[in-house]
Amino acid sequence: MAKQRGSLYPIVFLTVVVFLSVVSLTLMDQMTREKILIAQQSEIQEMLSTLFPNLETFQYDEDSGLYTILANTATIGQAQMLQAGGYGGAIDILLGIEPDGRVRGIRIISQQETPGLGAKIIESQFLDQFAGLSVNEIALNRDGGSVDAITGATISSRAVVEAVAETVRDSFEQGGGE
Amino acid sequence: MKSLIKTLSNGILRANPTFILLLGLCPTLAVSTSIDNAFGMTGSVLFVLLAANVIISILRRWIPDRARIPTFIVIIATLVTIVDLALKAYVPSLSKSLGMYVPLIVVNCIILGRAEAFASKNNVIHSIADAVGMSVGFGVAILLISFVRQVLGSGKLEVFNVQLFSIPGLDSNPAAIFLLPMGAFFVIGVLLALFRWMGVSECE
Repeated sequence: MAKQRGSLYPIVFLTVVVFLSVVSLTLMDQMTREKILIAQQSEIQEMLSTLFPNLETFQYDEDSGLYTILANTATIGQAQMLQAGGYGGAIDILLGIEPDGRVRGIRIISQQETPGLGAKIIESQFLDQFAGLSVNEIALNRDGGSVDAITGATISSRAVVEAVAETVRDSFEQGGGE
Repeated sequence: MKSLIKTLSNGILRANPTFILLLGLCPTLAVSTSIDNAFGMTGSVLFVLLAANVIISILRRWIPDRARIPTFIVIIATLVTIVDLALKAYVPSLSKSLGMYVPLIVVNCIILGRAEAFASKNNVIHSIADAVGMSVGFGVAILLISFVRQVLGSGKLEVFNVQLFSIPGLDSNPAAIFLLPMGAFFVIGVLLALFRWMGVSECE
């Protein structure tokens, strides 16, 4: 391959390669950054509108992480992202709360649960159970609540339920919605 | 010309990266849960392998021997990051289901292996043939594995949201074990045995 060159040659060569790599990555980042942001934004908007079909716009408050859902400039609910520790890793959940503090519904944004078992938390059969629950109903049936766990996936089910319950309880104690 | 065709077909049959060289098995086992993933992974590997082989083959006279592995890694990592950003920007859903495994192409032994064993010793044309052959070989293998796993594990075959067929009985009660990591080992083991038995892998 390469002939004998000075002992500094590998260093110079690698420096040039790394420099070129940084330049091309910077260009690529500039080309895609906006598109990636828009893709993430429209995904959030889509997710929010499955919870709140009347959604017209939403406002995001960075400090509290709360999305305020607006329709006709009136607040029709709030939503926030939360994370549960599942069986296969973190589960990202979007939680919608009605103005009266009840759960509007939840959506799973990302999860790595076992396919065929824990991954069923993304199915509506499981998710629909959350609609309309008040703070002390959010628990698995066997823990005295009113959510049926997925057969064979108690850990995943409980992780979601407990994360949701905790968040709703917190926001309830702060005065329960607006 | 003849050697070119040989290089090309090498990757598909005699030196199939998955079934014969047994390279890059980690992403193969991990993402082969659906045909969609397999296509996405094959496309990503094709792009990275092709670009890496071309660049390394062009630079082969200037790449210092002692620093060749770091050079390869920097080039491959740059290409992979480009693919990752492009997927995130233009096909966010695919990027989501491939998840961690796109960034992990950096350490995929197929790509580093071809850079070291082929592109750094051969001219650009042959390196292109090698990259295409290896990627197609990888694609055939991962598609086969995904096909078996998806059909048995979900009872139906769905490609890009179009359902092609479903197996009565199996679709309501699928053998989900095939979608689990251990199912990947079962399937790849049986396919390896099958290829060997059919004599495809008559190694020298």
